[in-house]
Amino acid sequence: MNAVFPPPAPTPDAAESQRLLSPDELEAALRDIGARRYHILHPFHRLLHDGKLSKDQVRAWALNRYYYQAMIPVKDAAVLARMTDASLRRVWRQRIVDHDGDHPGDGGIERWLKLAEGVGFDRDYVLSTRGILSATKFSVEAYVHFVAEKSLLEAIASSLTEMFSPTIISERVAGMLKNYDFITKDTLAYFDKRLTQAPRDADFALDYVKTHATTPELQRLAMAALTFKCNVLWTQLDALYFAYVAPGMIPPDAWTPGTGLIAEAPGAPAAAGIRKMVADDKPRLPRGVRLRHDETRGKYVLLAPERTFDLDDNAVAVLKLVDGNRSVAAIADELGRTYAADPRAIEADILVMLDGLAEKRVLER
Amino acid sequence: MNALTPNRPDVPAPVGLLAELTHRCPLRCPYCSNPLELDRRSGELDTATWQRVLTEASGLGVLHVHLSGGEPTARNDIVEITKTCADLGLYSNLITSGVGGALGKLQALYDVGLDHVQLSVQGVDAQNAEKIGGLKNAQPQKFAFAAKVVELGLPLTLNSVIHRGNIHEVEGFIDLAVKMGAKRLEVAHTQYYGWAYVNRAALMPDKAQVDASIRIVEAARERLKGQLVIDLVVPDYYAKYPKACAGGWGRKLMNVTPQGKVLPCHAAETIPGLEFWHVTDHSLGEIWRDSPAFTAYRGTDWMKEPCRSCDRREKDWGGCRCQALALAGDAAATDPACSLSPLHAKVRALAVEEAAETPPDYVYRTIGSNVRSPFKEDVNS
Repeated sequence: MNAVFPPPAPTPDAAESQRLLSPDELEAALRDIGARRYHILHPFHRLLHDGKLSKDQVRAWALNRYYYQAMIPVKDAAVLARMTDASLRRVWRQRIVDHDGDHPGDGGIERWLKLAEGVGFDRDYVLSTRGILSATKFSVEAYVHFVAEKSLLEAIASSLTEMFSPTIISERVAGMLKNYDFITKDTLAYFDKRLTQAPRDADFALDYVKTHATTPELQRLAMAALTFKCNVLWTQLDALYFAYVAPGMIPPDAWTPGTGLIAEAPGAPAAAGIRKMVADDKPRLPRGVRLRHDETRGKYVLLAPERTFDLDDNAVAVLKLVDGNRSVAAIADELGRTYAADPRAIEADILVMLDGLAEKRVLER
Repeated sequence: MNALTPNRPDVPAPVGLLAELTHRCPLRCPYCSNPLELDRRSGELDTATWQRVLTEASGLGVLHVHLSGGEPTARNDIVEITKTCADLGLYSNLITSGVGGALGKLQALYDVGLDHVQLSVQGVDAQNAEKIGGLKNAQPQKFAFAAKVVELGLPLTLNSVIHRGNIHEVEGFIDLAVKMGAKRLEVAHTQYYGWAYVNRAALMPDKAQVDASIRIVEAARERLKGQLVIDLVVPDYYAKYPKACAGGWGRKLMNVTPQGKVLPCHAAETIPGLEFWHVTDHSLGEIWRDSPAFTAYRGTDWMKEPCRSCDRREKDWGGCRCQALALAGDAAATDPACSLSPLHAKVRALAVEEAAETPPDYVYRTIGSNVRSPFKEDVNS
């Protein structure tokens, strides 16, 4: 693998922003940082997305990334501890709830554990964090220290990588499902939630930064904080690349392929009978399954035998187009036009959703 | 517009209506969920009243209507009532025994827009099934009915109520569901209220049998993924936490009896002192919102310890009120099926004891019988 990866451009020089930016200019400058430095651009992510990684390389990523996920509530608790305003805390604490859940078995960390288990890890091994790369730990811990020690504005600004994450998540889910037969939609449940949680979180944080970065100096600090956070993420992928792709130098004590896994069932048969939906399939709702607008609650629901499915906006948009005539590809094209998005990324998401419904026997093709 | 919430955010809109159209039924299952005192035909609501009830239900936010009984096709107006559901956009679910006149009405029900059929099967082996249901020649009728449902393209769910008389047939129920072309199978362990409470000693399986049945279902779920959905209801007495009865008292479901009494769950009449309102005296919305039976155990204010301070109080809502009454002698107590109830160990010991004994004969359900529960004060005396 000899692809040449252009080095990311540096952050705009501080000198350029000696003047006070308008809130919209500030937002543009922050987005520009993501456009140049977000880890979606990292070679490791490109390999992951394009299906070029081996199963063990995907495992290394899932394991190390667990450490980041597990520390996020610690980071957010540190941010929370610095907020003297109850209304701020009420918003911010939702992040902790999202990650920790309301009970055992719930929340983002748990979903990440499911992902790690989905690629073969023994749960207890992941929880022990024994095989995590030191570089992963150092960068994650630097992030926790950063938010505890810097100003609240910088702490909040450092979270703004969430502005960019829906893109990376869509790419990742699409790429992983398409390219790795050992990845299932259940394994990727973590990302389903983040697709809606991250924009909500980012909207709030962006608004805060735009409102509170009221001098050129504060604006520079906010931009530097976001740059720092991009580096936290980038460094983790550097370490993975170095240890598990090239030159393949795994540090002492870090995870080595073949360890920490649960025994694979020999030739465990794939789920019987029903093959997965493909782009040419023309899905339809069978008799006894109906999409209906629920006037009382002001939302669409899918009515099915003995149950009602609550639908998010994306699912409603798809199901409105499911008519037995349109193929999945055609639905994706139509939604791509409507939402100005990449139809192939949408297609992968749609396939996941439709497979889920087919498995519950409320969708046919 | 929302008829309920503007001034009463504490009252959620109902999602389901169980319409017990009649208590008449050709079967006599000893675990029937109908009350011991069955309504007679002469007291049943007329067609127009059911249609009004359905219209009001739709306005309240109800999405699913379960047309049940007794045997709902025993009513001459079942097609008209189903059509009303379809006209209102309500999802209609026919819960049927598949015997008697059911098959003859199926095409007409399909034509007016019936959404789903849930067919009960008492056993796999015909002789065993007909002993449990108390009706000769029921099994071939059920098979013919199921075949017609699938032929029409209606989704079919098989419902099997599990007890010691058929728990050895769980694997067979699964095969049967696949063979019949059902999309769903309910493997529902008996819930011990009403007739099942009377027959508890004849029905209660032992723990090893229950565990084995759960393992069979779990293996089949994996094997038949995408082909058959299997819902499993485990027996309360062996559970760790109780079920949220009807999704929480007065939160999701209501039950209208053949005579028009509106209940928070089908067994609620076993609780003495509750005042139920009739659809002939009040609108369904008034009843849902304000009738004493619905407000009695809605929310968490009525709870005692250990429910009151429990983290799970808004998950299982204290479990089943009827079971709390039957086993603890107090409808506001924690459901003894819950491992946190002080009575749980006793209840479990009782189940183990009964399952170990030779089962007595079934007490079959009949209209006009004078059955008393033999277990009046068996736990809390």
